Amino acid sequence: MSAITPTSTSTGLPARVWNGTGVVRLRREGAIAPIGAFVVFFVVYVIINPELLTRFQLQTAANLVVPLALVALGQLIIVLVGGIDISIGAIMSLCNVVFAVQLETMPVPVAVLLAIGTGLACGLFNGFLVAYGGLPAIAVTLASAFIFGSLAREVLDRPGGGITTEIYLATSGELLPFVPVSLVWLAVVAVLLWLLLQRTALGRHIYGVGSNMESVRAAGLNARLTKLLAFGLAGVITSLGAMMLAASTVTGDPRSGDPYLLSSIAAVALAGAAFTGGRGSIIGTILAACTLGLIGNLLFFAGVNSYWQYVISALIIVAVVGIPVVWRKAAFFAKGARS
Amino acid sequence: MTDPIRPAEPLLVATDLVKSYGPVKAVQGVTFHCNPGEVLALVGENGAGKSTVAKMLAGAVTPTSGSITVAGEPLASGSVKQSRLSGVRCAFQELALVPDWTVAENLSLPDGAPLRGFSQKKSVVKAKALLESFHLPHIDPRAAVGTLSLADRQLVEIARALAGAPTLLILDEASSALTPPGVSWLFDRIRELTAAGGSVIYVSHRLGEIAEIADRGTVLRDGLVAGEFVRGGWTDDELISMMAGREAERFFPSPPPRTTDAVALSVTNLRAEGLAGIDLTLGAGEILGIGGLQGHGQAELLRALFGAAPAVADSWTVGSRRVSRTTPVRSVRNGLGYVPEDRKTEGLALEMSVGENLLAPWYRAYQLGGRPRLSRERGWIDGVLGALSVRTRGPNELAGSLSGGNQQKLVFGRWMNRSRSVILLHDPTRGIDVRAKQELYGAIVDLAKQGVGILWFSTEVEELVHVCHRVVVLYQGQVADELIDHRLTADNIVGAAVGATGSMAAQNAPLKTERAAG
Repeated sequence: MSAITPTSTSTGLPARVWNGTGVVRLRREGAIAPIGAFVVFFVVYVIINPELLTRFQLQTAANLVVPLALVALGQLIIVLVGGIDISIGAIMSLCNVVFAVQLETMPVPVAVLLAIGTGLACGLFNGFLVAYGGLPAIAVTLASAFIFGSLAREVLDRPGGGITTEIYLATSGELLPFVPVSLVWLAVVAVLLWLLLQRTALGRHIYGVGSNMESVRAAGLNARLTKLLAFGLAGVITSLGAMMLAASTVTGDPRSGDPYLLSSIAAVALAGAAFTGGRGSIIGTILAACTLGLIGNLLFFAGVNSYWQYVISALIIVAVVGIPVVWRKAAFFAKGARS
Repeated sequence: MTDPIRPAEPLLVATDLVKSYGPVKAVQGVTFHCNPGEVLALVGENGAGKSTVAKMLAGAVTPTSGSITVAGEPLASGSVKQSRLSGVRCAFQELALVPDWTVAENLSLPDGAPLRGFSQKKSVVKAKALLESFHLPHIDPRAAVGTLSLADRQLVEIARALAGAPTLLILDEASSALTPPGVSWLFDRIRELTAAGGSVIYVSHRLGEIAEIADRGTVLRDGLVAGEFVRGGWTDDELISMMAGREAERFFPSPPPRTTDAVALSVTNLRAEGLAGIDLTLGAGEILGIGGLQGHGQAELLRALFGAAPAVADSWTVGSRRVSRTTPVRSVRNGLGYVPEDRKTEGLALEMSVGENLLAPWYRAYQLGGRPRLSRERGWIDGVLGALSVRTRGPNELAGSLSGGNQQKLVFGRWMNRSRSVILLHDPTRGIDVRAKQELYGAIVDLAKQGVGILWFSTEVEELVHVCHRVVVLYQGQVADELIDHRLTADNIVGAAVGATGSMAAQNAPLKTERAAG
């Protein structure tokens, strides 16, 4: 029956073997480059500053990167359905202050649920306008960024709130020696999110909608609902990042989310995700966020002016995103010249 | 009448279907029915409304008015899901598979609720069993669909439509990328389905396939039913004239006699994505046709020659100039012109005016633009608009408000009288009306008379036969055959396009070939 294939695939057998492993999926989702970049970065970091592997520094570093990693995962979900979320920093600020203020009066679980509910509501607000209103995500989220940002200042106009030491210890302390709690939380969220994206139909729909929305609709699936749910899910993940940030800084701050907007987009870009949608990996995004989050520290220990942090971040992004592109072009011409 | 599937009661009845997109009526009142266990062919020229009708049946497009009933029940219009639940499945012409999903995901995800768990392993096992039951074991269910060949993608698409044991299967040009063994595979599946009592609506314009598989047929023309036919009761000529709405011989201008042997473009062993080494020589004033089925390298060839896709060649000259690598900007400077595949996205800036679209390749960043430029170039613009008889209110009208045929004339007209030496045409007459076609033929022949070399890829075989000096047929990214003089016939082009050897002439013969070609 191989007669049906018009192209005789001499490379068919090895491809089949590879398809069985997760490596092909990681490569398709663009995760190989950020994983490699993180490994290189980590080795360089430990060489320059071996102190990282002490308990205190490990804990500090973890508390620094975990909120960014969570927000980047939120951004990743939006990017997977072919959108972009400009309001993610404002959602983070809003959840952050809601969490901090509610803790003054409410028991902890209620405050947590309210913060998550806030994130969900913000996400669904954006998602509804994008999926059912047919408006471009960048315009909707840009507008809602102002709304959410104002609401955050309305809830709490200066840093404060009722975050206690217990909460700090529960989110940003140490579970065991050398195991920061925040990394455990990040791992829990990442695994649950991975299960959702890779092992439920909804997760695969999210990838499909970004890959080719028309095809998904032609297959009889509800593409709009998928988009809406993706925005809601992103809001929830963002609220988790907001709470981690509030707890690790022991304060609620209506401006705390602002720097995370560009960092989250940068992390998703570094993770090799396609901004047209459909491609992007969780592990790549987390490691990209770790890389970007630690650059400032690294430069401090290397004795470089911290303003260079942004230049170095930019160079890393351009290099990691650019190398596969250059590689493909070079490979094409090398192949063309040989045959 | 003890038969449980009473043939007296049709499975599908479509009554007075109308679909309009704004002022354009794609389908204007189509009525037909399909009996259980029957293969109904839906035929017509490009743009006759076949695909729109198929999409309405599948639920992908909501009809503006009219009704569809399946087994007596009205079909919920505009919902693919509802259509699927009523047993109507469709394999679309534009492939409806998600490129970043694996084959297994594409096969299994459309069924079931979104919040259900999804097991890669189980879906792969299921997909493997499904593909094997359809005799497609060579397709790896774990491969991402985007990495498969066009033909394999089409096979997966058909397999997905077949998987639900549909009562009504719609195949919308589903054989367009299949090889002859692939087509006979498809026919086997259709026969299995109809033997089990299912019906098939076979949308196509390949008469050979229709002769073999269709029990009855409905001919569409300009969004209306032009006629009907039953198995064995028709000839190719009758059907063609029914599709075209006039006698079978259509008017094609003859290519002008060649006055010079000068070479306008020559390339040896051109390699690019989808091209496996192509040798080509195009003379000045020559009209060289490119034939072949979709996806065998025609689009890639034109894009590579224009520099829109990376390509390398052993030797490559345009006029007397040697080319090693090219970009669109350099190509235009070298005297090339290109009419791309999709006029709406690649050819025109729809939000800009007619005049600006004509001038698009000739703007330099430092030159005047807007109205001052238009009035300076008024003479040339009016000349082009007049020569092609573009129906427009003037150069300031938005290009997007023109009809498809007139838009196509703009994409073509920007290269006229601009001292071009080679023009690359990607199926310029697709989906435009007969009159616009005639005007384009005339313009193409005029350009050839002026000594411009024309490289013309067309999906319409008749165009290639009548208007071209010479035709090169591509198959799997290579030149399968070169046809000239008495060998330049429709049968030879079709034969070479499906990978049969050059001399196989009879129209249906290639479809019955069991031998793997190429």
